[in-house]
Amino acid sequence: MKKLFKVSAAATMVGLLALAAAGCGGGDKKAATAKANPDVLKVGVTNFADSLEPTDNYFGWVVMRYGLGECLTKFDKAMVTKGWLCDKWEVSADKLTWTFHINDKAVFSNGKKVTGEAAAASILRTFEKAARAKSMFEYESIKGDGQNVVIKTKKPVPTLPGMLGDPLFIIIDTTVKDRDYRKMGPICTGPYAVESFTKAKAVMVKNEKYWDGQVPYKKVEIPSIDDPSTRAMALQKGEIDIAVNVAPGDLALFQGKDKFKVSEIASLRDVLARLNVKKDRPLSDLKVRQALLRAIDREAICKGPLKGTFFPGGPYMAPSTDYGYKDLYASNPDKFNVESAKKLLAEAGWKDTNNDGYVDKNGKNLELDFAFYSSRAELPICAESTQSYAKAVGIKVNLKPVDYNVLDKIGREGGADLIISNVLCMQAGDPEVFMNMYLKTGQEQNGCGYSSAEFDALSDKLGVEFDPAKRREIIIDMQKVILKDAASLVFAHPKTNMVSSSAIANADIQPCDYYWVTKDIKPAAAK
Amino acid sequence: METIIKGLKTNRSFAITTGLVLFLLAIAALAPVLAPYDPTFANMSDAYMDPSGSHLFGTDKLGRDCFSRVLYGGRSSLTGVLCLVFCVFAVGTTLGVLSGYFGGKVDIIIMRFSDMMISFPGMILAIAVAGVMGGSLLNAIIALTIVSWTKYARLARSMVMKIKRRDFVDAAIVNGGTSSHILWTHILPNILPMMVITAASDIGGLMMELAGLSFLGFGAQPPAPEWGLMLNEGRQQLQTAPWLMIFPGLAIFVTVVIFNLWGDNLRDVLDPRNDVED
Repeated sequence: MKKLFKVSAAATMVGLLALAAAGCGGGDKKAATAKANPDVLKVGVTNFADSLEPTDNYFGWVVMRYGLGECLTKFDKAMVTKGWLCDKWEVSADKLTWTFHINDKAVFSNGKKVTGEAAAASILRTFEKAARAKSMFEYESIKGDGQNVVIKTKKPVPTLPGMLGDPLFIIIDTTVKDRDYRKMGPICTGPYAVESFTKAKAVMVKNEKYWDGQVPYKKVEIPSIDDPSTRAMALQKGEIDIAVNVAPGDLALFQGKDKFKVSEIASLRDVLARLNVKKDRPLSDLKVRQALLRAIDREAICKGPLKGTFFPGGPYMAPSTDYGYKDLYASNPDKFNVESAKKLLAEAGWKDTNNDGYVDKNGKNLELDFAFYSSRAELPICAESTQSYAKAVGIKVNLKPVDYNVLDKIGREGGADLIISNVLCMQAGDPEVFMNMYLKTGQEQNGCGYSSAEFDALSDKLGVEFDPAKRREIIIDMQKVILKDAASLVFAHPKTNMVSSSAIANADIQPCDYYWVTKDIKPAAAK
Repeated sequence: METIIKGLKTNRSFAITTGLVLFLLAIAALAPVLAPYDPTFANMSDAYMDPSGSHLFGTDKLGRDCFSRVLYGGRSSLTGVLCLVFCVFAVGTTLGVLSGYFGGKVDIIIMRFSDMMISFPGMILAIAVAGVMGGSLLNAIIALTIVSWTKYARLARSMVMKIKRRDFVDAAIVNGGTSSHILWTHILPNILPMMVITAASDIGGLMMELAGLSFLGFGAQPPAPEWGLMLNEGRQQLQTAPWLMIFPGLAIFVTVVIFNLWGDNLRDVLDPRNDVED
């Protein structure tokens, strides 16, 4: 009897295991046979916004990414500023008055025409509500005149059309007052309009009055799946049609498969660590900074841990931009060179006198605090790699994992020796804001104390230069100063991706982070 | 001690599981001898290598040898959990004994405080405590001690209350024994076996909780080799480099099973009620 019990228990166990195994294996087939619903598009993303008020924080990005809002201008694949709601613009001879002409066809999702007055009111609302707008440009007046918006600035702003392409300046119908912008978003001009929105999931419906062509889907569902691996699995299972930003490690699961299409592009982002060069910090010594930079093999980090989904860093601007990456990368004096790093440390007076593996001076080890946050997978990898490489030349790196908001504060106050982040280097389609942000003397974000008269002079020159060719030269010169002073540790430049089911057409990632759901994404059959 | 030695001789499964526990401890202690590589030595060009002859458990994102990391992970995970169990045992038992023996206000204060702790979900409270103090293995141990001591306090209190009514305690009081003398020589030895059994059978569960906190980023910090942390690091590569989760996961599984079985067997050996049955 006992034996019979044992045998039957074992048989049941095997049966259950077989059942479980069968359950595990079905996913791929299901995904293969699952036909995309031609009326509903499902996009898996990571969402940081709990509100659709475009002037709050950076939430305008979400309004634009979800296909709700549009600006006067937009950026094409080469990051050139093009018209969107406006079809042409001009600037006066004194470079202070800009006139933007709004497309005659443009209407809001409630059917109201987008006039110059409506657009001017929307831009003024942004200035009223968002402090960040003032840091972009200062205006004398903004007025509507028929289909024209006329903007007078206090001083010449060469990049004004690009700045108006920032999601902060999404054009909304300001006459609508009885609407909860946080939950339903403002009335905009995009191909889709909000049906419901929470941080976890947004549901959008077709904007029946869309002004710029056909809207292919009746409904768009956007669940927020924060973990990149889970997002990839949801796409494999057919739960979503498009996954935005699949983790570097998971991309191979989709490449070369008929069922999926991978759209990958070099992004406009920098993974960089600000170096704290304040007087009392070890990195105030140029030789120590150079030694640290030379100790780290950025090419190996990109090839190994980051699986070739990043370009190695060096120059300040990303390789996808036209600001001399190739030449600057080749001429970078602080490429990986362990012997030279050790020599530089010795020249700076750092030697391992107590044989503990770390160099020291006046009885103190060379220790650096590295602040990072983990919600972007590459940041802890760069931090840990730095710790490991630095150890090889005798520098002790202490990792300080912090929350993103804490890191922002540390950056402003200069509370660590290295502060890493992943930043957009073409804000509003131009590098000026980014070039100045961490390195120009007196900038709010420059808490690490870098100050160079040469750099500041170039920055001032850039601020009033309209000629694109000259601007490019100035930006390259600024990068040369950064490289010469070893003022920043640029680890890598990420590629960004959008992976879609092959049942979807035109799901292409753009170099600019603002455009995810567009009117061009449609069922493949309708291609 | 005599009971344990006797148990080793008479109870075969206790002898086997004790052997396995010692084996685990030996692996942890001898990790520097057994590990083929330095667990923190990174070689970026070897990142994500499949398990092979040169790297038995493959390599991780920084090209570190997973086998060495799993072996060294045993050190931090085992020392961590043993420290944790000792802290929980010491704090809980002390407070429980004081509460049960002295009664009155002492009892009310300690027990109401313990009620308060119980009314929170344990893991969430531990995450909150570890989150406030910052992530480190020591802070994770402190956080879990704060949420886990109540069980021991309640158990110790109920046993002390039962024992303190026994004749031999009254006799000790009549003979002029001080409270500390009575607690040390008459009460503690009587409750100790039961407390030790509870602690031993808790090792597995607490190890899971400690690994859980490390997994969530509130325990051990990189580049430390710790099983929970390694699981978290491997999570991103679940589909492309599954060995990064399989081996630390197996290590946790095997260790927890061994300690749970050992705890059960230890109870069989030490439980005073077994004497009555004999």
